[in-house]
Amino acid sequence: MFWKKKNKSGDGQVKIFFASDLHGSNVCFKKFVNSAKFYGADVLVLGGDLTGKAVIPIAEQQDGSYLAFQHGESVRITGQGELDDFVKRQGNMGFYPAVISEAEYQRLKSDPTAQEELFKRLVLERVHEWAAFAEEKLKGTEIPFVALPGNDDFWEIDEILTQAAHVDFNEMRVCDFKGGYQMLFCGGSTPTPWDTEREYSEAQYVERFAELLPQVRDMSRCIFNVHVPPHGTALDACPKLDDNMQVVYEMGLPAQIHAGCETLNDIIKEHQPLLGLHGHIHEGRAKINIGETVCINPGSVYPEGILQGAMIILEDGKIAQTNLTQG
Amino acid sequence: MSVTDAGGDKRIFLRKASGLIRTASGTDTFIYNLGVVSIGLGVGSMLYYGPAFYPQGDLIWGCVLAGFAMALIAFGFITWTITLPRSGGIYVFGSRILPPALALTMSLVEITAWLFYCAIAAYWIVTLALAPMFAALNLLTGNETFLAISETMLEPWATFLIGAAILVLSQVILSYGMRFYLTINKWVFVLAMASSAFLLITLAMYTREDFVSHLNALVGPALNVPDAYNAIIASGKENGWGGGDPTVWQTILVSNWPFLPLVGAAFSIAIGGEIKSVGKSQTVAMLGAVLIATVVWIATVWLAYKVFGFEFLGTAVYNAVLGTGITTPTDPSVALLTGILTQSPLITVLTSLGLALWMWMWIPAMHTFGVRAVVAWSFDRVAPAPLAKISETYHTPLVAITVTTIFNLICMALFVFTPWFSKIVILIEAAVLAWSVVLLAGVFFPYKRPELYEKSPLAGKTVFGLPIMTVGCFLGFLAAQFYFWTLFFDPNAAGHDPTQVAIVVGVFVIGLAFYYVMKMIRRSQGIDVTLAFKEIPIE
Repeated sequence: MFWKKKNKSGDGQVKIFFASDLHGSNVCFKKFVNSAKFYGADVLVLGGDLTGKAVIPIAEQQDGSYLAFQHGESVRITGQGELDDFVKRQGNMGFYPAVISEAEYQRLKSDPTAQEELFKRLVLERVHEWAAFAEEKLKGTEIPFVALPGNDDFWEIDEILTQAAHVDFNEMRVCDFKGGYQMLFCGGSTPTPWDTEREYSEAQYVERFAELLPQVRDMSRCIFNVHVPPHGTALDACPKLDDNMQVVYEMGLPAQIHAGCETLNDIIKEHQPLLGLHGHIHEGRAKINIGETVCINPGSVYPEGILQGAMIILEDGKIAQTNLTQG
Repeated sequence: MSVTDAGGDKRIFLRKASGLIRTASGTDTFIYNLGVVSIGLGVGSMLYYGPAFYPQGDLIWGCVLAGFAMALIAFGFITWTITLPRSGGIYVFGSRILPPALALTMSLVEITAWLFYCAIAAYWIVTLALAPMFAALNLLTGNETFLAISETMLEPWATFLIGAAILVLSQVILSYGMRFYLTINKWVFVLAMASSAFLLITLAMYTREDFVSHLNALVGPALNVPDAYNAIIASGKENGWGGGDPTVWQTILVSNWPFLPLVGAAFSIAIGGEIKSVGKSQTVAMLGAVLIATVVWIATVWLAYKVFGFEFLGTAVYNAVLGTGITTPTDPSVALLTGILTQSPLITVLTSLGLALWMWMWIPAMHTFGVRAVVAWSFDRVAPAPLAKISETYHTPLVAITVTTIFNLICMALFVFTPWFSKIVILIEAAVLAWSVVLLAGVFFPYKRPELYEKSPLAGKTVFGLPIMTVGCFLGFLAAQFYFWTLFFDPNAAGHDPTQVAIVVGVFVIGLAFYYVMKMIRRSQGIDVTLAFKEIPIE
């Protein structure tokens, strides 16, 4: 981590900053983009799950105040200054604030379809804002910003990011990468208890990798950017949930399961790519080796406004350094 | 903005999305903290050192004072952990506001103290639980083999080897993962709590007369006096043990003994990132642990005074420690005295093993604290990278666990084989000082790091117009400073012996040197470690 800005890249040296699972957090996204300058990275890689999970309705009352919900409590907001602060804070924590009338809130409350439409509209607006921010900050820097979708990302974001001027958005592709490397993009995840947007069975992952692997020229110079981590490792350990999304306890302790992809683990063991970049399991912050392959999940604590990431230096076809970051 | 009642309406629209699940409940956290407080160890050390060396100290009021002060410290740490709900203890807090060198040094000092306490706990298991148990069994059964075992255990090499085995056992358990450790921890906790309840019930069932007659029958012949109970008291007084009316100063000083184990009530700051409903859980866990421990101690001390007698407890230990006058044939620990009281080998074994289990609970808990901090340093590149390496087989940081175990073993050797470290309880002063620095930093956190504080659930909550974190951390800082100075002026609990103060200062210096050496090494590798402590700009 923490490469000095004055430290020039040597021949064949590529400095990658990788983060994942920002889930709508404005502050984390801005940090992610600015991390290129801060850590002196040559490439920014985003590992999916850009979109957030909750809309915070801020309902205007008859007396001109607003009712909203924060940290498990109902709050009353008075004045434009307080409102602006509240809206900003919600955005930084990954929520989507929506200033609406009380009547509109009551209508939305009883209409799941309208809620979903509102959700999608706000998510897409934010993705647009992020794309514009990235362009503003990275224009003229020659720092590529590559991204792929996670399991929580609406399909509609693909079009926005594909068309964004300074975002290299890829899914189900193997692309040439700085320094003569290749990057394999495979988004989504294996099935989750939440039945999220982009989930694939193990059998589907077999098919997906069968499509991607022939495109890799040299595994020893290939970086896997795969949202889901390999199964049965420190990168994918998380609590087991029941049908009601409650943690399952065994002997009074939360039961642990591995929620990664078995197919991916098998493929990494067999093909030994240079590097695996993963996300999805926020608790799975770690760096491990599967054979010769280094696999990293930086984890995520986006609600706290802290960006967890990983800096990786590739040099002459090898991994010179890897470091987990928090900033 | 103000909290209001919206009739229970949670105004939030959620979508189905995956995310981080925090697993530790309030109960888990409470057990974790209470285990580190170690009620049994507190009982053992308070009854041992309190009446003997603070004859004008009121131990019951001392417990109240220590409990109140620790509650204030917990209040400060609760505001920290709600604001930054992450695992790693004071390193996480300090690294967000203090200069990097100071943040690492505070953490290193604290970890050194806790890892040293792992060694002390292992040492005490041998010397205050197991060896006295065998000595008491000899007394009760007349079997000389028990005495031989007890004496052998107290030989330095035997003490070291048994203690080392205990420390390695902690290493093995932690290597198998937190889940394995916590499963064992829950069972140990249940057994240890049962032993404390058992001790309370036992003391409640007997009278002073029972104890005096049983002591005289068992110990009298060995001392060659018919009334051993009063002879021991008289001997102690002749040798300088002085009772009298309680004084405020002695009561403050004796409160160091309940305070020392009570620091464990805030140990859940080390696992803040794993606790769900962090505000409620941490509040209940920290303050609950302080309250329960204090209440149990007050009840136990009151009953122990009633049954054994304050003067007897004071003189028996006084004579034993100073090696003058007459006393029980082996250290008059609470385990031995309970054995004599009940005249039951079984109760002696149960009481002693209960004490040992409480002491054991310190070891993996403090060991975990150390391991997490070391891994955090490594993540931030201020410690060697392999320390954060996760074992593919066990999914645990085996290197960090092993390195901290080796450090524990070195501490154990220093403690057993050298005179300089044998009374280095003074390291607690260093840890309390480190805490007070971080609490003082918390006073200014809402002002220095508003962009972080605004995301805290505490943002907007005020006391007398000041941010609640500022108030909580200030009160915690005052309480921590109070105990830093009471420990400093108490030669029995910590003190300021020049050699030992030099060791403490040395730990701080090593911390600073460690930071600057690592910074230099990283610089040669093109890494600027100071960036680990900075926030990435967002504009």
